[in-house]
Amino acid sequence: MKKKMLYKIFAVVLVLGLLLGACAPAPAEEPVQEEAAPVEEEAPVEDTAEEEEEAVMEPVTFQVFYPVAVDAPIAAILNGYIEDFQAEYPYITVEPVFSGGYGDVQTAIQTTIDGGGEPPALGVMLATALYDLINADYIAPMDGYVAGMEDGDAYVADFLPAFLANSYYDDQLWSIPFQRSAVVMYYNTDMFAAAGLESPTSWQSWAEAAQALTVQEGDATNWGLQFPSGWPYWLFQPLAIGNGQNILNDDCTVVFDDPAVIEAVQFYNDLSAVYGAMPAGVQSAWPTAATDFASGSTAMVVHTSGSLTGILAQAEFEVGVMAMPGKEAGTSASVPGGGNFYIMKGAPQEKQDAAWKFVEFISQPEYVADYSINTGYIANRASAYETEAMLAYVADVPQALATRDALQFAGAELTTQNLGQVRGIFHDYIQRAFNGEMTPADAMAAAQVEADAALADFCP
Amino acid sequence: MQASRKSLKPLPYILIFPTAAFVALFTAWPVLLSIYQSFFRQRMNIAKFREPTFVGLGNYVDLFTDPYFIEVIKNTLAYILGTVPISIILGFLFALLVNRKVRGIGFFRLAFFHPMVLPMVSAATIWLFFFTPDYGLFNSTLRLLGYTGPENWTGNPNLALLSVVIVAIWKNSGYYMVFYLAGLQNLPIDVYEAAALDGANGWQTLWRITFPLLRRTTLFITIIAFIDSFRTVDHIFVLTSGGPSRSSTVLLFELWLERFEYQDIGASAAITVIFVIILLAFTVTNFITSDRREA
Repeated sequence: MKKKMLYKIFAVVLVLGLLLGACAPAPAEEPVQEEAAPVEEEAPVEDTAEEEEEAVMEPVTFQVFYPVAVDAPIAAILNGYIEDFQAEYPYITVEPVFSGGYGDVQTAIQTTIDGGGEPPALGVMLATALYDLINADYIAPMDGYVAGMEDGDAYVADFLPAFLANSYYDDQLWSIPFQRSAVVMYYNTDMFAAAGLESPTSWQSWAEAAQALTVQEGDATNWGLQFPSGWPYWLFQPLAIGNGQNILNDDCTVVFDDPAVIEAVQFYNDLSAVYGAMPAGVQSAWPTAATDFASGSTAMVVHTSGSLTGILAQAEFEVGVMAMPGKEAGTSASVPGGGNFYIMKGAPQEKQDAAWKFVEFISQPEYVADYSINTGYIANRASAYETEAMLAYVADVPQALATRDALQFAGAELTTQNLGQVRGIFHDYIQRAFNGEMTPADAMAAAQVEADAALADFCP
Repeated sequence: MQASRKSLKPLPYILIFPTAAFVALFTAWPVLLSIYQSFFRQRMNIAKFREPTFVGLGNYVDLFTDPYFIEVIKNTLAYILGTVPISIILGFLFALLVNRKVRGIGFFRLAFFHPMVLPMVSAATIWLFFFTPDYGLFNSTLRLLGYTGPENWTGNPNLALLSVVIVAIWKNSGYYMVFYLAGLQNLPIDVYEAAALDGANGWQTLWRITFPLLRRTTLFITIIAFIDSFRTVDHIFVLTSGGPSRSSTVLLFELWLERFEYQDIGASAAITVIFVIILLAFTVTNFITSDRREA
């Protein structure tokens, strides 16, 4: 009896799941499909080329490994795009493989290759994974494909420059931006208005606003600012950039012990020690920081632009979004983040070619706009902001434009040779400085020495 | 010759073949491969070291002369000493508590056991919210009890390791409780009746009868707990990422870092070998001592 009941419940859940799966992608496709068609048509290929294409229409199936790193139905959205793509290229089948987080995708691909298996033709991995992937000989450059396009240069130039910063090495193009984000600062405009404050324009006015908005409520403190630092390099970088010195110069040179960087670490500490405006020490609660802000118990939070959709859905106040204030009045800073498309060298050529077609397809402005609207990622191409869907969305959610605009103040994200180790060293010491185990100057000096040693083997 | 071969019964070998093949393929072979690889320098993200070069014991020397790796070993020991005894004792106490015939006892058994059913990542995510300074449940409760210390559990270098230990204890004690409960319910009743007749009090019964009779269960749980404490790192990823400043990095987490973050195949193979040696030593010791007790 009980078993039967269980089976019944299971069957119902299964059917519901199938229904949901079938329904979910539909709304995502609709707006795009109509607009997508003319784009393909508009490329009036010469007859010979078209015949050639038809001649090589051997069926080909390739896999794309992708992560889910934001709170959005990525799988359903991607499946919708894949259906559109396969309708246009009936001989290509795309198998999307959800593989966990960014790290898991890279791990899965690495272990496949190291184990002698055939990697997926396409992977979505961190833009910063570039050097590790090149050095390991896992990925193939994309210049050939771009050169073969009708107007390849225009295609590449349409991507927001900050997002292409981690795509080039040795004058070759190795990745195409896909789901990209940036560090931004969210602020509660209602609280600012109530306290008669303007949105901050410098470190000084930022710290003072955070101080003014920090309120003690019984046992708990409603902080003026939360600035997560459990995985600190990314959110910290805009502080350094806002003080005129990024923490890296190129793939072989990191700048940890520059006085400007040390001053940025000191400012982070001062926000709690001097201004009492944020929790002391390392703030490891990345998810709770965003919910604290959305629930109104924290006035400002430094976070990823990817949290915008979630925060807007929860917040019952007017949410302000801006780049992080720089030290001098009127300066701002940010840093890009997120994942790019990489084509795997180890996959058979025809699969790589099919994968490129998919990359090209999915970076059409209509799809870029749709993906941004549905996920909260920043639309990564200038032309996407001209699409009707995006114009309508931005009219409704002007904050989406603020995330894009933050990028004009962006420096390069920490991307170096031997990234894992260099980043680990930086995290180690900056957290010591945040927790008061070392002075900012000592910590950054030690980080510099260790990072230089970790880079020595890579950079003759 | 022929006669002796005939006496060799093939059936048992056929029956264990699938298991043996599995063990050989998925346990023995990777271990041998790791031992081999640990003698080579190979780093996937340096072009010139992509092909392995023989360095003898170089990887081991590097590891044990690295103060940071020594720190990891210390963290691992602290983690084991922190989780194993306490979660076993708690498991035993829980089992004693719920080993009675009271209406609704099933609810309490479930309450103690449910953390085990949760995936570690979900459990850690829940605890991330418990650990939140100010309003987190854990901190609020501690404050009620008069605690005034630091509340930033996962971000404080002195508390981060403790916070992952707490989650592991919370997660595992209920699991060990189930083994103890099964053990308790299999204990012979006549012994207790005899003890009652002899006028033994509750403490004596517990300490002189129950506990010794559960010796084999305890041994079994100790092995499981020890191995568990080596192989669970999921909650560390969620709670602390091994930080702050690596203060909650344990051996398996370090292994992951070396292999997938630093792409250092030689060093990660060496850590694997160290790992296998420790676990093997522990298991063999246990095996031998438990065998002797049986005799």
